[in-house]
Amino acid sequence: MERKPEWLRVRYNQEAVAEVAQLLGELKLNTVCKEANCPNLGECYRKHTATFMILGSQCTRNCRFCNVTPGHPLPPDPDEPENVAAAAKKLGLRHVVLTCPTRDDLPDGGAEQFARTVRAIRANCPGVTVETLISDMQMNTAALDVVIEAHPEVLNHNVETVRALQKAVRPQADYERSLAVLRYCKEKDPTLLTKTGFMVGLGETEEQIGELMDDVLAVGCDILTIGQYLQPTPEHYPLARYASPEDFARYKKMALDKGFRYVASAPLARSSYKAWEALEGVHDLH
Amino acid sequence: MEKKLAMPKLRPEMTSGVLCAWLKEEGDPVEAGEPLYEVETDKVVNQIEATESGVLKKQLWEEGDQVAPGAPVAILETE
Repeated sequence: MERKPEWLRVRYNQEAVAEVAQLLGELKLNTVCKEANCPNLGECYRKHTATFMILGSQCTRNCRFCNVTPGHPLPPDPDEPENVAAAAKKLGLRHVVLTCPTRDDLPDGGAEQFARTVRAIRANCPGVTVETLISDMQMNTAALDVVIEAHPEVLNHNVETVRALQKAVRPQADYERSLAVLRYCKEKDPTLLTKTGFMVGLGETEEQIGELMDDVLAVGCDILTIGQYLQPTPEHYPLARYASPEDFARYKKMALDKGFRYVASAPLARSSYKAWEALEGVHDLH
Repeated sequence: MEKKLAMPKLRPEMTSGVLCAWLKEEGDPVEAGEPLYEVETDKVVNQIEATESGVLKKQLWEEGDQVAPGAPVAILETE
């Protein structure tokens, strides 16, 4: 294992993690924090923040960068929307991020479960904002409409990596399809803030990063997240490099100069890490 | 009173972690919430916080040792 750079150090408090894990366990909820083995879990759980992973913990795809378990997922849990709302209330969340494993087995890709969960949060947690971090739902516009009509404040879908690395890194997904998802959602409801993210450290060039930014801006994307790829196990897609904090600062400037409304760019920035800051950051610009 | 601090299970499938650095020496006072030692996992280096306040009486492992989750890592003298 290559020695980790100084900036990849995180704090971990066992009691804080156990407390949040117990609450989530009692409500039979999954988080992407745990399933993705997120490096920020310790910090976020300590701050009573978590990103819910609805629709189970098993994914019908097998992307080479991702730690979520591939397998045959169970049918959606009808109690899950209410349980997520209950957990959001207990944790005192002001901004709830919902994500899912990709559910190619479901005709609607899980859209209805997203919509039900957004509505349950609206009903139980007044004033709380919601972000849906969705799969591409195979660019099924009827399914995307169901999510859009639930009107989350932020609709997030990650392109994950530059165009040239898509086949190698996420073979069952498609760069153009992801762009189409972002474009469709923005055109269908221009009041939605759209958001995407990508990883660096997979072997991409700076020029390809610039092209990615141009591509997602061209489909109306408002918010961009950029973080370091961290190899979950030696069997996952190989790490090409650790980008430095200075590199991330340069990417951030590049993205802001191009016209994104908010950019989170740091080694441990993740799609949902401090997601409320992005929402507030955009609103400050109004 | 002596208190043993155990290695946390940093991920569900973790069978052991490399204790890569001690951040406190034997005899040092430690506050609950202060980082005590570092464990390297696949993605990052985790700075494990002390769960109690006291004086670090004994480091039970050396830097570079593989430690199983649940195993005692340090003995703390607490009041």
